[in-house]
Amino acid sequence: MPRLSLWKDGAHSNDYQFFDNRIREMFTTGGTGIAVHKYLGPQDQTQTGDATKPDYLNATEENIQDLLFVENRDRKYDPDIHLMRGIYQVADIDFDLSQFGLFLTNDTLFMVFHLNEMVNMLGRKLMAGDVLELQHLKDYHSLDTSVPYALKRYFVIQDAARASEGFSPTWWPHLWRVKCTPLVDAQEYADLLGTIKAGENTDDTLADMLSQLDNNITINDAIIAQAEAEVPQSGYDTSHLYVVPTRDDEINGADGGPADPENIIGPDGSTLVATETTPSKDIVSYLQGDGIPPNGHPVISGIAFTDNPTVGDYVLRLDYLPNRLFRFDGRRWVKVEHARRDNYTPGSNTSQKASFNNNEGNVSLDNATSVPSKQGLSQGAKNRNKTT
Amino acid sequence: MSAVPFFYDEQIKRFLIQFIRLFSNFQVQFGTGDEAAFRRVPAKYGDISRQAAHVLTKNSENFLNVFPQISCYISNLRYDRDRVQEPNFISKMSIREREWDDNTQSYLTTQGNAFTIERHMPVPYTMVMKVDILSSNTEQKLQLLEQILCLFNPSLEIQSTDNYIDWTSLSAVLLTDTNWTSRSIPVGTETPIDVATLSFELPIWISLPAKVKKLGVVQKIIGGIYDADGNLNVDSIDEWILLSDRAYITPLNWGVLYNGGELTLLRYESTVAGEGEIINYPLELTGTKENWHAFVNMYGELTNGISQVRLLQSDGETEVIGTVAFHPTDDTLLLFTVDTDTIPVNTLTPITAIINPLTAGPGGVLPASSIGQRYLLTENIGSISNIDFSSIPSGATAWKGTGGEDLIAEVNDIIEYDGTEWIVSFDSSESTTIEYISNLATNVQYKWTGSNWVRSYEGEYINGRWSLVL
Repeated sequence: MPRLSLWKDGAHSNDYQFFDNRIREMFTTGGTGIAVHKYLGPQDQTQTGDATKPDYLNATEENIQDLLFVENRDRKYDPDIHLMRGIYQVADIDFDLSQFGLFLTNDTLFMVFHLNEMVNMLGRKLMAGDVLELQHLKDYHSLDTSVPYALKRYFVIQDAARASEGFSPTWWPHLWRVKCTPLVDAQEYADLLGTIKAGENTDDTLADMLSQLDNNITINDAIIAQAEAEVPQSGYDTSHLYVVPTRDDEINGADGGPADPENIIGPDGSTLVATETTPSKDIVSYLQGDGIPPNGHPVISGIAFTDNPTVGDYVLRLDYLPNRLFRFDGRRWVKVEHARRDNYTPGSNTSQKASFNNNEGNVSLDNATSVPSKQGLSQGAKNRNKTT
Repeated sequence: MSAVPFFYDEQIKRFLIQFIRLFSNFQVQFGTGDEAAFRRVPAKYGDISRQAAHVLTKNSENFLNVFPQISCYISNLRYDRDRVQEPNFISKMSIREREWDDNTQSYLTTQGNAFTIERHMPVPYTMVMKVDILSSNTEQKLQLLEQILCLFNPSLEIQSTDNYIDWTSLSAVLLTDTNWTSRSIPVGTETPIDVATLSFELPIWISLPAKVKKLGVVQKIIGGIYDADGNLNVDSIDEWILLSDRAYITPLNWGVLYNGGELTLLRYESTVAGEGEIINYPLELTGTKENWHAFVNMYGELTNGISQVRLLQSDGETEVIGTVAFHPTDDTLLLFTVDTDTIPVNTLTPITAIINPLTAGPGGVLPASSIGQRYLLTENIGSISNIDFSSIPSGATAWKGTGGEDLIAEVNDIIEYDGTEWIVSFDSSESTTIEYISNLATNVQYKWTGSNWVRSYEGEYINGRWSLVL
């Protein structure tokens, strides 16, 4: 009589098949529906010129996008959704209020899947990077009652391995255990979040509805708006302050005394009216200079001085950088100030540093080609024989 | 028990807002090549309330956290003793704003209100800020850090306001430390988020409210606060020394001439002819007459009959004060109405007139002699060697007494008729003390300086000896 043994020398015996089918039925009967968004590998990256960022011929999950940091940042997901059954222990969650908002750091799920069913469905085992939608965690009661659909719940697999409880008496494994954390709106899932609809009968994507990005941008914009309202530009706002016109032109006596507001001698010797008495200087302070004439007198902006000017006329020369404000003193155009005030908001100013970074121009070369003016120090005027 | 009057100018908050602004609008790249896209990285305050956080998530746990993010928060606010300055110092500045047109809701090109702003010495603090950078991968972190770190060399300027009078508005953001990651290496079995932390310090000031006053110009500035070595001049502390050593500076170094109820604006080089002598009317000036309208325009608006001019007297303490008004036809003159309570009190009995005794005498040019007549002499008269001891008349007949007594007096003396003869009431050669006396003929008061007569408060006031209160 042969010895009784469930282990058949490495063969998947009928006993194994029996156990596997029973376990499969367990999932069918008691598992919850999981919609799997299968990770297909990194996005194509062509001609990066970087050996650590290879351009793979075949896009598969086996590829690594960045061989230096060994990470896959731009991931591609299967547009098809694979429905599976999974089992996990529901647990209470706590919200972790971090400096970046609420996090669900302890909301880590350990979910098991039927191994063979999973492979039959996906063509492979679930792996880190696959995204799971737990359909039974849809939230039908958003605070925003105008949302016409339920909010979906997504997790992403961080680790995957055989489940210890998934081994049958045949010693063959039947279960696959995955460790999941809540999905985040990050670069890695941009392909997924930007293409999947948030619900039925809507064009909103998951990114539109579930992501906190818009909220954060709105908050950030409000802060910037208030900051720009309080400090629109560097330096000080003196445009509302009055500057006493002084006698700084040769015709009326360049002695620095206060100009007669009612009488000033024009270049032709005639007496001008009071409105033509304009200050030759503006208020001086740190980072001062807005290109606006003192006391709000009118100014002509251009790239040349005006013909037949009158004493006290202002011209803002736009061909100077920073722009330069001049005043006509009867004989010559005298500089009043540089328009140095600038926006502090990154990306919006024309400061010295910004002129290097916010530089989108091209440089035309002698051989009728052009190159971008802004180049990294490692790339500018580089030997063309070098590929990196 | 009275409460402390409420005051809150959002001083720290305004720095915080500007700080977050500094870290706004940075981008990271998603994808490569033609698929590359850029995502703006939101920056916000890091210490938000839990309730508001739930509102942002629509009260659902199904939300998606955003990567990357920048979070800014205050980690400390430290008193900075090294930057403590004179705690009782009060800075004053005068500003004038342009005239505001209520109809157009805009400023005009003319002068409007003028203010004096008093600013109390603010208190120095160091604001310690943390910037946490949340990223989902290393490349993303490097992209952000490279864009941010190159800006701090060693600092970035920051302003809490662009108000011209706010001397606490300017500060700098100094990068003091970086923490590459909040994770440990190796990471192990957990899946923590990656946070890089930058530490910054901002030397800021927290200030009391300013005092805003209507501009009143007192054009006297003590010069020479510091000596040639840069040390504080003790003269500027010892007030009794200041009275003799104080140096005065007046804007433009201009003076005024008070004469006959009018003030003439004088250029510094303008002088009064015959200074130190008895002043005759009209005065003669050299130099250019200046325009009061233009001068006043430098400081504000003059209100006729209300604005004042104060004339500091030679004792360095008392002032003759009067209200002023623009002259209706001559811009070089201000009408000066003196407050009689502020002029010096006569120390001598008023005189009838100032005369030259050699050309004018009683019963001729002058009225007949009568008791109480007093004259200030501009020439010597009579001589001890010319006394009329004989029957031959010798002295000036008009000045003889009823008994034929001759008048012997010197220039600057005051003579008085006692009913029988003219006597010297004030002997200028014997008097060295300051005396004041009024001339009843002109209502002008004169002052005896010890050596000659000058107008007591009329005359020239050089720079620093007069002030204009608008």
